[in-house]
Amino acid sequence: MAEAVVANNLVKRYGDFEAVKGISFRVKRGEAFALLGPNGAGKTTTVRMLTTLTSITSGEAYVNGFNVRTERLAVRRSIGLVPDVSNLYDELTVRENLLFMAKLYDAPRERVDELIREFELPADKKFGKLSTGFKRRATIAAALVHEPEVLFLDEPTNGLDVHSARAVRSLIRALNRRGMTVFITTHNMVEAETIPQRIAIMKAGRIVAEGKRSELAKLVGRKTVVRLSVEPMSSSLLRALERYNPSFEEGKLVFEVDNLDGFLEELCSLKVELGFRVTSLCTEIPGIEDVFVELTKCPCRGCPL
Amino acid sequence: MKVLTIAEKELREYLLKPGSISWGVVFPLVFTLAFAVRFGDVDHLAPGLLTISVLFGTTSFVSSSVIFERRLRTFERLLVAPVSYLEIVLAKVLTGSIFGLFVGLVSLLFLRFFMVYPIWSIPFLAVYLVLSAVAFSALGLYVSLVVENPINAMTWLNLIRLPMMFTSGAIVSLLLFPRWFIAVGLLTPMTYAVDGLRFAMLHYYDVVNPLYALLVLVLLAMVFVYLSVTRIERLY
Repeated sequence: MAEAVVANNLVKRYGDFEAVKGISFRVKRGEAFALLGPNGAGKTTTVRMLTTLTSITSGEAYVNGFNVRTERLAVRRSIGLVPDVSNLYDELTVRENLLFMAKLYDAPRERVDELIREFELPADKKFGKLSTGFKRRATIAAALVHEPEVLFLDEPTNGLDVHSARAVRSLIRALNRRGMTVFITTHNMVEAETIPQRIAIMKAGRIVAEGKRSELAKLVGRKTVVRLSVEPMSSSLLRALERYNPSFEEGKLVFEVDNLDGFLEELCSLKVELGFRVTSLCTEIPGIEDVFVELTKCPCRGCPL
Repeated sequence: MKVLTIAEKELREYLLKPGSISWGVVFPLVFTLAFAVRFGDVDHLAPGLLTISVLFGTTSFVSSSVIFERRLRTFERLLVAPVSYLEIVLAKVLTGSIFGLFVGLVSLLFLRFFMVYPIWSIPFLAVYLVLSAVAFSALGLYVSLVVENPINAMTWLNLIRLPMMFTSGAIVSLLLFPRWFIAVGLLTPMTYAVDGLRFAMLHYYDVVNPLYALLVLVLLAMVFVYLSVTRIERLY
């Protein structure tokens, strides 16, 4: 099976409340995939279903080719989970925690030393005494003891300061570069911009959009904004760029373009032809935050959400 | 093997937690000492006091571990590992039993100072002690898993443990009560442990035949282990 994770019409119901409403998606092996959504969108519930932590109400899910409903132990052997809280054992040292995990997963002891070195962890310090950043690193290390094929991370940088969050993000990217499939859930835009190759946006238990960042940007019709100032400004230049519908803001020409590369190529040839000098050029490429806000905003008129 | 791995972790992590120490060690030992010092000759009280020690030792340790694991979500770490729910339950029952037996043995050492007669059968004592510890440990685990808010687990356990101290004949023989109270006693799991230990230590029993007590303790352990496994399945 080429896919590391497959979800087909996945539903989770708690009594009358439907937390996940029939979502489907596929994650390729070696891919970094993110479930992005506001609080209560159903991201964590989805991860809990895929990692066998909670039962599936209806639908089907496969992780590494194993059926999540019927082959739970095989699924568990092939995945690592980093939950939204750092949940190792406070009274055990980092080494003892990792050794415990190694025994649970029948991983070799040497792997523990490897991880301690790689993650630069204080091996003999009790987990409960670590800083939030180190707790997070240790929790990620614990999920990697058995070298899982898929790593699930639920809000991996939740509650971390900027430096620790950066360190954790670069760690996740490094794991993905080494070929590990990474599945993260987040509402953090920096994470969504920097880690995944593909994103699914969840809202109220449903996936409202899925694709690469550029595909999602197109989906909401957001264009790249170009701010340009040239010397000398000439009427022939304005005429040549008229079809881009330019406007003036603080002495600069402002364009909204669909195809940035095409626009820049045209600008270069005009520069040669008309002989002007570009004194400043800024582009604002629509970020995932714009897409996220557009796709998850509340439809009520005047609603601040 | 996974059972032993988890059990070892449980002992390291939860041995010194306040819940285990206050309700699991201090309360039963102080209770035992108070009775021993007050009455001197405690032979007839010894099986009951020993059962109380084992009951509080096992259930306090198990519930302490479940309270912490559910609150800090370390329990989920076990649930996503390639181990069955039965292995997790057995590991917790095992550690609760070891802790309870340790408290029971310390309590027995205290009691021996004040007992006049020797213990009738050490092997029987060992059998009933182990079975009581396992049954109580499984009971404590089930109650801790049933309680919605894990912080309330100790309160709920006390609602069960404290009345059982009186309905089981641990302190006052059930034979001194009316028949309806004896019926209540027979519905109390602790009664079987008290009478089993009474038989092992003093070679007589009040209301439950020792063989019957042994079978009921085994059955109780199995039922509560089964219920705990199904409870975890329902919870997650």
